[in-house]
Amino acid sequence: MCGVSRAENVAEPALEFGIARAVRNAFTPPEFVADTPDPEPQTNPPQKPQQPSLGDLGFPTSATQPNPQEQARLNKRSHMLKMHQRLGLITIAPLVATVITGGFAGGRAKQSDMRDVHAALGGISGGLYFATAYYSIFAPRMAGTKTRGPIRLHKALAWIHGPGMVLTPILGVMAFDQKNAGEKVHGIASAHGPVAIVTAGAFGLAVASVTFKF
Amino acid sequence: MHKITVVFISAVATAGASDAQWALEQSSLTYHVSHPLHQIDGVSHAARGKGVCSSGECDFLIAVPVKSFDSGDSNRDLHMLQVTRGAEYPLVTVRTKVPESDLHSGTIHADLEVQFAGQTKQYKQLAFQLTATGNEIHLSGTIPATLADFKIEPPSLLSIPVKNEIPIRVEMTWRRS
Repeated sequence: MCGVSRAENVAEPALEFGIARAVRNAFTPPEFVADTPDPEPQTNPPQKPQQPSLGDLGFPTSATQPNPQEQARLNKRSHMLKMHQRLGLITIAPLVATVITGGFAGGRAKQSDMRDVHAALGGISGGLYFATAYYSIFAPRMAGTKTRGPIRLHKALAWIHGPGMVLTPILGVMAFDQKNAGEKVHGIASAHGPVAIVTAGAFGLAVASVTFKF
Repeated sequence: MHKITVVFISAVATAGASDAQWALEQSSLTYHVSHPLHQIDGVSHAARGKGVCSSGECDFLIAVPVKSFDSGDSNRDLHMLQVTRGAEYPLVTVRTKVPESDLHSGTIHADLEVQFAGQTKQYKQLAFQLTATGNEIHLSGTIPATLADFKIEPPSLLSIPVKNEIPIRVEMTWRRS
């Protein structure tokens, strides 16, 4: 090195150029490096097709739109049917007691405490029964719903215990009056017991039909 | 020879990452509800779905009307509709994203985003069985949903609430287009 003058060193210009290029490249972002040709023309990343949307699935508008009115009807319906269920279960207790005390309400005596208890229990049962029925009858109906499943039997049995719960107390009052008059129960009043048993049986079956799986 | 090999590999790679679309052909979604007195299954065949693949990833969307589930008891179905706020939020939607290369016979693990009853729940790495036949893929698996996931108050019978777990069995057939 010491023996070669700057003018004689033919490699120096090339070395300086190389260093200068290396320094420039090192401090320049790659995309601005002018002397590095792209192997291919720059292209944008492929456009991602739109993600599937609900509109692509072809549901009718009515199936996708919120319906607060219908929700309110459903809420009211559920509330009323819960009350129906609760009162129906409560009704079982006085109804069973009425049937049991009915077995001791006869006799020859004009006055009988058990007959009075039976009549009182019958009155309570009837009141609870009609309150129970109210919540079912006046629960909102949902349009387009076809009744399926055990609820069909539950509803069908109402055609037995409903009239039965009207008829039983009427016949019961007649029988009660005849007994208190010292008469033997006669005429249509003598159907009080059988009608009551059929009614209670239908009611019990109606409860069971929606409580247990058959 | 090298050129032919490169062209062939490129063609295969392109085919593997095609912009394919998938349509849901058939489906059976079954929820199970457990109560000491009843075991209930509600089934829907009304789901619709679409998958769009791009850059090796596929986005799938499945939706099913809440009211399309049939448990065999119209009274129960209406009550289910009420507790799940099905009139306000009439659709259950499921979104997932899977690598296109995973769409072949075998087990796939997918992350699902389920929207139901006005709530969104993420399920991570659920295993589904795939069976590929021609242009169709049959998928089966179970989503371990719970009532609490969607803030649904458990319905009760005789004051006994149903179990929180409502696993949803999924059977689907997808067709590639």
